[in-house]
Amino acid sequence: MERILLYVEDTPGMPNAVGWALRLAKGMSCRVFALAVITPDAPRRRDTQASDAEEHAWSSLYEIEDDAFQQNVRISLLIETGDALQQLIDLSASYDAELIVASADCRLTCSELVRQSRRPVVFVK
Amino acid sequence: MAKISELLPRSAILLNLRSKEKFEVINELVGPLVATGSITEESEFVSAIARRENMESTGIGLGVAIPHARTKAVANTVLAFGRSDSGVDFNSLDGKPSHLIFLIAAPEEQKTEYIMTLARLSKLLRKDEVRIGLNKAGSPDDVVRVIVQHES
Repeated sequence: MERILLYVEDTPGMPNAVGWALRLAKGMSCRVFALAVITPDAPRRRDTQASDAEEHAWSSLYEIEDDAFQQNVRISLLIETGDALQQLIDLSASYDAELIVASADCRLTCSELVRQSRRPVVFVK
Repeated sequence: MAKISELLPRSAILLNLRSKEKFEVINELVGPLVATGSITEESEFVSAIARRENMESTGIGLGVAIPHARTKAVANTVLAFGRSDSGVDFNSLDGKPSHLIFLIAAPEEQKTEYIMTLARLSKLLRKDEVRIGLNKAGSPDDVVRVIVQHES
């Protein structure tokens, strides 16, 4: 395995998912693509809230990047706007990810992701 | 927490980068920060930046790259900015050269400020009007003005 797509969302279970993905990537010497998606309802909020959502997403990604760097894990950061499920499916194909990792408490509909994805999906508790 | 515009000394704004290659550009941007005393150990800092660049891409796409490092070789969080008309290959995921290059240097112990600076700068540079403004800027003062105008 060479590429893991890690779905990043601000939930209590996210640190476990990040830790699991980085350990796996280190063990298998593979690259992580960390993806945060700004959801479509964000622009409908007041501008400052939408802006804060993006800043928060970037800070989560850079926290993960810093951890990855300390562990010698190669990582690329991706930030997209739109439907999270669709972005995850599209980007897993375009970056040829062989595994998708998400937190079990993410706000995606897990069954939909598993049903629509052509890649294996791991939900980490 | 300091704003981006407050972390960018005018002496570290280079509107016509001479270098064409990634590590040469990084060295060019490091120079003014050594001169201001923000980077205390140049070779250690350049090694830290190089280690990250060899592991991952700091090109975030849209013609922007943000090489960065947090190390003991830095006295205070600081930025340098360089603009390259021809563009520099920072291995961006979109495959395009980087024309706007922001270098971030932070002390080892200032992780929160480092992460927040990266996040704020990345958010800022995703705005079309900021990139257009930086591409058009005719002086370091213009660069700072563009950033101040769009910084929340």
